[in-house]
Order: sequence, then structure tokens, then C-alpha cells
Amino acid sequence: MIEVRNITKIYNKGKPNEIVAIREINMKIEDGSIVAITGPSGCGKTTLLSIIGLILTPTYGEIIYDGESVLKFSDNWKTNFRRSKIGFIFQHINLLPQYTAIENILLPLYSMNVNPSQYMERAIELLSRLRILERAKYRVEQLSGGEQQRVAFIRALIKDPDYIFADEPTVFVDEETSRIIHGLIQELRDRGKTIVISTHDSELLKIADKVYKMASGRLL
Amino acid sequence: MRLLRKQINLFRYSFDCIARYKMRSIVVIVTFLIATMMVSSVLFAKDGLEREAEISVRAAPDLTLQFIRGGRIELIPISYIEVISNIEGIEKIVPRVWGYIGISNYVFTVIGIDPSQISGLEGFAIEEGRFLAKEDKKCVVVGKLLAGLLDLKVGDTIIFLSESIEAKRYQVIGIFSDQSSIYTADMIIMLIEDARDFFKIPSDYASDLLVYVNSNYIPSEVAAKMSSIPNLRVLDQDLLLRGYKTAYASRGGIFVTLWVILLIAAALISLSQMMIVGQESRFEVGLLKAFGFSTLDIIEVRLIESLVLGFFASSLGMLLGYLYVAYFNAPGLVDILLGWAFLPKQFKIPVYVSWSSIFSIYAITIIPLLITTIVPAWLNAITDPELAMRRATA
Repeated sequence: MIEVRNITKIYNKGKPNEIVAIREINMKIEDGSIVAITGPSGCGKTTLLSIIGLILTPTYGEIIYDGESVLKFSDNWKTNFRRSKIGFIFQHINLLPQYTAIENILLPLYSMNVNPSQYMERAIELLSRLRILERAKYRVEQLSGGEQQRVAFIRALIKDPDYIFADEPTVFVDEETSRIIHGLIQELRDRGKTIVISTHDSELLKIADKVYKMASGRLL
Repeated sequence: MRLLRKQINLFRYSFDCIARYKMRSIVVIVTFLIATMMVSSVLFAKDGLEREAEISVRAAPDLTLQFIRGGRIELIPISYIEVISNIEGIEKIVPRVWGYIGISNYVFTVIGIDPSQISGLEGFAIEEGRFLAKEDKKCVVVGKLLAGLLDLKVGDTIIFLSESIEAKRYQVIGIFSDQSSIYTADMIIMLIEDARDFFKIPSDYASDLLVYVNSNYIPSEVAAKMSSIPNLRVLDQDLLLRGYKTAYASRGGIFVTLWVILLIAAALISLSQMMIVGQESRFEVGLLKAFGFSTLDIIEVRLIESLVLGFFASSLGMLLGYLYVAYFNAPGLVDILLGWAFLPKQFKIPVYVSWSSIFSIYAITIIPLLITTIVPAWLNAITDPELAMRRATA
């Protein structure tokens, strides 16, 4: 289980341009569940997701994974944790433009003691399921926004992480692909994975086990 | 193998970066190629000139005695031979006459010796003909430079115009080879009597006295025994070598300084390049950190990338620098480097590649490159991944 306790994030703290992005957030995320966070743009969803996913340090508060408060640990510990346990789908997709789709998918494996080519079969299976297998060797700039989002989705799943954080994972895809992604997310939950999603997608909200609503940096 | 796997992955990723971030790689390679080529050409030429100095000193006697009056060098009376010949350790004392002669627009050195007494010079390789013998009156052995300039061959007759406006005729009996390079290049060797006649130097005077010390004695200790003799300056081989090296290295030194400044400029270019690609690089580092690349992994990737680019560019730069000096005779540099020797620029600059120069060049090129790539990578790597990416795309 993931517990979020009194998380506050203040950007540029103490400076004239100080911004309180999120304030005193408390939430619980059960293992093997889908948790959706929704709310208007700029309400702090991405910041919250990034903090829970350990890619952003909060100003105050605690993040507890399986009973252990993790923010006190070193940067190296958090990096190892992300490497072995977490998959991230970013709102802005964040593919490396110099690489092809398949190379982007295999990239997270380069920091692990594995041979990335051994994951090719899994990558091909996911590419087929998301209907972009024929685009595997295309460079990022040759892919549409929806195709790029699917590649980013597969990249997050390639190392089969326990926790998946998805920031607006269906915003650029068509209805059909959106349905496939919904199915895939449900399937991941059924396999015991924990999925935290920031979304406006009503269909995604429907399959969520719990929905948190945010506004102005607070949970409603 | 499993533990090695990650290192293999990081190596692969680093090499991928070199190939994929083409503009970044090309800018680093070109900048450092130019910088290294400039530095290495000067250093290799300087090393070559210093080596020439050592060759020159090898041909010198143990001690050279000059007559000093009012701080200026004058002709030394032959009677000094008698004054110093009783000093313990001296094997022999040989008078030498030398001076300069202008031919065309260049200055050559005429040296008059007694070939039966002098040692060292005959050790220089003769390309054509033979070295001077005692009976070779009105004969000369010339350096490659003069031979090339006047298209001289053994057996040819050459006329020199003396300061007293007298035309003197000599027969060429030998030409030094290229091996002795600068030292013999501008040399004209003749019998001491011929040199006296040419420069109008009285028979009881010489330009200097060459002292050969018995091998059981230390030249500097023998020299010390001469310190009380009036008007005498004693030069030993160490002093000569220091003198030669200072003459060569001071010119080289100016240029090394100059090129180091250029290199710093190149490092700054590199830094600016890193800043140009900084946005791209910051984003990449943030993303890699989010995937689980540690700060050390990121530094390792950048280190490999920089070392590969740096070694490649520096090595190629050194090769081009060597070719620039050794084969193209350093156009643009030759006049400055050889100006001290009054040699025509057709003369080939001696080149010598020393390990210390190679090490220095690698050090002054690769270290700034490592700093300008690793420090920004480290700074990005210790930033929260989300912030690093957000700042890069802002």
C-alpha cells in the first residue's frame, strides 16, 4: 500500500514567485488497485503523481510504501526503487527524439543488469496489442501524437513494474486505442499491479477503484 | 556476466549518444581537433628543436673558452693555451676560428678547424664526399642548406666574398646529410688557416679555444680551476645545452602559451556547445533518472562519451599537427620557429614526438572536455527528475 501523508509542494519557496502547487494531501492507495486523480488543469495532479512516483521531492510530508517512509532515503535508494518498481507515463510523453519507437521502449532497461534484447518479445507483444507494431522502427518524429503516447505507455510497462503512474495516458489516442489501453490497465490490476492515473477520461474514471478529485492544490 | 551486463548497457548507450547526437559530437570533435592540432604542431616542433640542441652539444668539446673584454666576446690570444695547459685534467686545447658570411639573403656560419685535432664534427653523417683532412687547403664541407641553395655538388668550386671585399675560391669536398639537421645545415667547414685568411684573423689569435678533458676528470671541476684566469669565460656542455634550449624553448614557450590560450577558448566553445545542447541534455538526464539511471550511471555515460570523443579528436589532431609540421613544414609557423637560426624557410623543421608532449596534449584537451560535460550532467542528475525535465521543456 502507498500512503500519502500531509504532502505539500511549494515551488520557489521563500522567493517572490513562490507557488504552492499542492497543499496537505493525504491519501491511501491499495495494492492491486486503480486510483484515479481528476481535476481541472493546473490543480496539481501532475505534481502529486510525480511526488508519489518519487521523481519530485515534496516540501513537506511523507510518502509511505508498504509501511516504510521512503523520502528519508538517499537519492540512490529512490533511484533503485524507481528502477525496480515504478513505471511512469508522462503527460508530455517524453520520448527521446533521436531514437526509434522500439529503442525508446527498451531504454529503461539500460540501467538494469539485463540484456535489453531479451525483452524484445515482450515489447513486440505490447506493440501488437496497441496496434503500432509496424511503427516499431520509426523514429519519434515520424510517429503521430497518439502513436507516441502508445510507445510511452509500452515503455512504462516493459520492465513489468509493480507501480504504474500514468499522467493523462489517453489524452492523445483515438477511441479504439483508448479502449485497448483501458483493457490493458484493468488487466494489469488483475495481475496485482497498482496503477495511479491522473485523467479527465470518463471511461478511465469508471474503471478506477477509487477516484480523488483535486482543485487548487487540495483534495476535495 | 550479469553484473557486467549493466556496464555493457551503459557503454552501448554512450556510443549510441555519440552517433545520435551528431551535432554535439561534431562540434566537440572539430573544436578539439583544431585546438589539438595547433598545440601539437608547436610542441612537436619545439621538442624537435630541443633535440637538435642536444645533437649540437654532443659535437661540442667539454669546455669552450672565450675571451671577454667589457662584457663583449673578442678574439682570444693563442698564448692562453700555455696559461691553461698546466691545469690538471686537460687532455688537449684546440684553437677554433669562426664567423658569419652572407650568401644571397641568408647568413651561414664558417668554422675553421684543425681536423686532426678536433673531434665531434666528423661524427656527423656526410651525405656526399668526405670530411675535411689536414691537407685539404682551400676546401670546404658544407651543410645541406647551402648545397641546396646553390645547387652544389662535390667537386664544385664556390666563391665567397669576405668582409675585406676579397673573393675567395674553395672546392666543395663534402656535404653534410639531413641527419645533422639544423646544427650543420648552415655550416661551412674549412681549415683553420683558410678561415684566418678569410676573416683576416692574426695567426696568434682564435675565436675560441676548445678544451677536451681527460675522461678521469669532471669538466665542471676542471672549469672551476680556470675561474681565476683573467678575461676568460668558460662554457661547459650543460651551459651550452641550457643556452640552446632557452633559445629554442623561449620561442616555443611563447607559442605554447599562445596555443594554451586558444585551447581555453576552445574549451569555452565547448562549454557554450554544452549549454546549447544543455536543454536537450537536461531533459535526457531527467528522463534517464526517472527510469532508474543513478547519478553515477549518468556520469559514467557522459564520461565514456567524452573520453571517446576527446581521445579520438585529440589523437587525430596530434596526427594532423605532426603532418602539418613534418610534411608541410608548418606554413605560417616556420618563420617564427626558425627565425633565431637565420635559416631560410625552405629548411625543414625538425620534429620529435615525445611521450611527455603526448601526455600534456591529452591532459590539456581531455580534462576541460570532461569538466564541461560531466559537471552539467552531475548538476542535472542531482536535481529531481521531474524538475530537470520541466526546466528543460520550459
